[in-house]
Amino acid sequence: MAADPKMRFLVVDDFSTMRRIVRNLLKELGFTNVDEAEDGAIALQKLQAGGFEFVVTDWNMPNMDGLTLLQTIRATPALKALPVLMITAEAKKENIIAAAQAGASGYIVKPFTAGTLSEKLNKIFEKMGQA
Amino acid sequence: MSDFAGMEDLLQDFLQESYDLLSDVDNKLVDLERAPDDRGLLNDIFRGFHTIKGGAGFLNAAELVTLCHLTENLFDRLRNGELELTPELMDVIMAATKGVREMFGELGQMVMPQAADAQVIAALQGALRGELPGAAPPAAPAAPPPPAAAAVEPPAAKASGAGGEPDWQALHASLTGQPSGGAAAEGQLAAKSELAAAPTAVAPAAAAAVVPAGEQGPSPFGRRATDRPGGQPTSARRAEERGGRESTIRVDTSRLDQVLNLSGEIGLTKNRLTSLRADILAGKNDAETLHALDQAVSQLDLLVSDLQNSVMKTRMQPIGRLFQKYPRIARDLARQFGKDVELVLAGEETEVDKTMIEDLADPLIHLIRNAVDHGVELPDERQAAGKPSKSLVRLEARQEGDHIVLIIADDGKGMSAERIRAKAVEKGLISEEEANTLDERQSLNLIFLPGFSTKTNISDVSGRGVGMDVVKTNIQKLNGSVEIRSEPGKGSVFLISLPLTLAILPVLLVRLGDQPFALPLSLVREILPIERGRVQEVGGKETLVVRGEVLPVISLARLLGWPFQRYPEYGVFMQTAERSFILAVDSFAGRDDAVIKSLEDFRPKGVAGVTTLSNGQIVLILDMKELLADIGHHPDMAAGLRALASA
Repeated sequence: MAADPKMRFLVVDDFSTMRRIVRNLLKELGFTNVDEAEDGAIALQKLQAGGFEFVVTDWNMPNMDGLTLLQTIRATPALKALPVLMITAEAKKENIIAAAQAGASGYIVKPFTAGTLSEKLNKIFEKMGQA
Repeated sequence: MSDFAGMEDLLQDFLQESYDLLSDVDNKLVDLERAPDDRGLLNDIFRGFHTIKGGAGFLNAAELVTLCHLTENLFDRLRNGELELTPELMDVIMAATKGVREMFGELGQMVMPQAADAQVIAALQGALRGELPGAAPPAAPAAPPPPAAAAVEPPAAKASGAGGEPDWQALHASLTGQPSGGAAAEGQLAAKSELAAAPTAVAPAAAAAVVPAGEQGPSPFGRRATDRPGGQPTSARRAEERGGRESTIRVDTSRLDQVLNLSGEIGLTKNRLTSLRADILAGKNDAETLHALDQAVSQLDLLVSDLQNSVMKTRMQPIGRLFQKYPRIARDLARQFGKDVELVLAGEETEVDKTMIEDLADPLIHLIRNAVDHGVELPDERQAAGKPSKSLVRLEARQEGDHIVLIIADDGKGMSAERIRAKAVEKGLISEEEANTLDERQSLNLIFLPGFSTKTNISDVSGRGVGMDVVKTNIQKLNGSVEIRSEPGKGSVFLISLPLTLAILPVLLVRLGDQPFALPLSLVREILPIERGRVQEVGGKETLVVRGEVLPVISLARLLGWPFQRYPEYGVFMQTAERSFILAVDSFAGRDDAVIKSLEDFRPKGVAGVTTLSNGQIVLILDMKELLADIGHHPDMAAGLRALASA
């Protein structure tokens, strides 16, 4: 599946600098339709309002963390199929397992470049295309 | 040369956000000391370091990543109950936090941070291994890089190895037991390391840091040479921090929208005026046109003052952002002096002009130091005096009318006017005779004299070149004043009063003959008629009794060295930090919000600046403190004033 540049992303992170970094990297890859949320709870509200096609979320956040957000998305019929890319500072095995168990579409470790992000996104797009 | 070419914006964002985050962490650390098992606090602090680490990674600031990573791991252990928070461990954590702040300082200078203090790193690693921090031997010059340094494992390195990307769907399926094409191999779990480049610099840099401070090559900021863990930030460091922050400001979008909205409306009104001008120039001057002109001008008037207010508001910041830093500073100081002090903050939401916030940082630090060092007593002294052993220092801000009031209060031993007077005489700052004429308030104010310090041994904390005199000078520069109240045995209160903004100064316009002068309204208490019969001469000086208080009457004409043409009819009861007096003038021209224009090159003594009246007339704004400082001593000044006023 070719990535649609108009694809609507939601970037979730409590650190606004990080949201800006991810937004800039996405822009480098041609994705300009990006909205932001400060934590899982706000993200969920935005997602429930509809219109999003991809979620890039940090793991560690106040109020609702990325893992809970992911679990909630997978448990919500309307959002179940949304691709979710988890961002984290760790590449710890237990984190990766937890993310996979919760149904993450991909996992990316900070810091990353536009190239790495592109690679991860493309893998997810491929999978989506097959499904 | 910048280490961050092309990333300046990102760096600024990162620093601004991270400074706030770190201040928050600092405050939570102070709270944590009192509630070491609070999981919420431990979690928040963990997340703080984690977030900074994440951002630092994108800036390739490997040393910052390392330091945050170790501290974060420590908090992970703490929050999982695997480690216990001891006072020694707390010191290590505080040192690590300080290290992070120093690195921010370096980043603010666009310089890649150097490795953290090797002892701090070693202590963190020791703590992670479950060793007591105190047991870590000091790094000897000849020692190889501490085993610690080698163990600084980059976050991703643990997982590096297999280069393959896990097949997420397969992995998910195998883990959840759903049928899937491929089974997830254990090896696939190891995510590809994208971090590999970042950590390579760690080991050599850490090794370099073991070189004793004296032998180290000059670092750009002399960091290693001046700072010890647990020590105080130097003023140079603070300057660095500020250097990184001064250029940007965060403004609520709704405020910017208001500015935009108002400037739009002003544009519309300007169009209306332009068209009216065309009409009037074309000879149309009927009542209707003039009425429209009147309306448009009134509207513009309103809009411009609204715009001024709105623009001013964009510069207003909650003072809490400044206050945030202080609990940590107070805590460190208290530990250093063996005192038990809690800094209580109030009114953090009070908004103050940003420039003022920056200029208040140092005076407030000094006053807090002063309160902890000189104000409050040692725990056993307090107990002996029947007080709770923990002392409270209160830092409060609030708005009172068009003033901001800052209060630094302690519940310590208070100040003795008697002792202060004796000290000032002993130091030769005032004479015995002068001392005898001073009342309580004036005596307390002596501590603001340059060269005054009641402690015979100046501690390394309070004697840092910034004295109380500098505190006062800095506050006065902001058109503010400091007042002291003290009750022996009960404590001392420093009251700082500041104008809301520096850009607009409310003034009282007085006249001397036909010449108007502007006086800062903040000093004016009241206006009263001067009845000649009630003026009494005391010791060759004219005085007036106002509600039982004998006040000297000082003629403005005499202050300026002008000829005494007629007897002044009105008196302005003025109060500066030093004295109260009545300024005799001929008449009044009302009050005004003066937009101050400073006289950059030519500034006669006694003139704070100039402002323009609505009729275009230029008015001098008088600096009463300067004028009073040399009553009758400076005919040159008076001549200069005359020349300027008649120009």
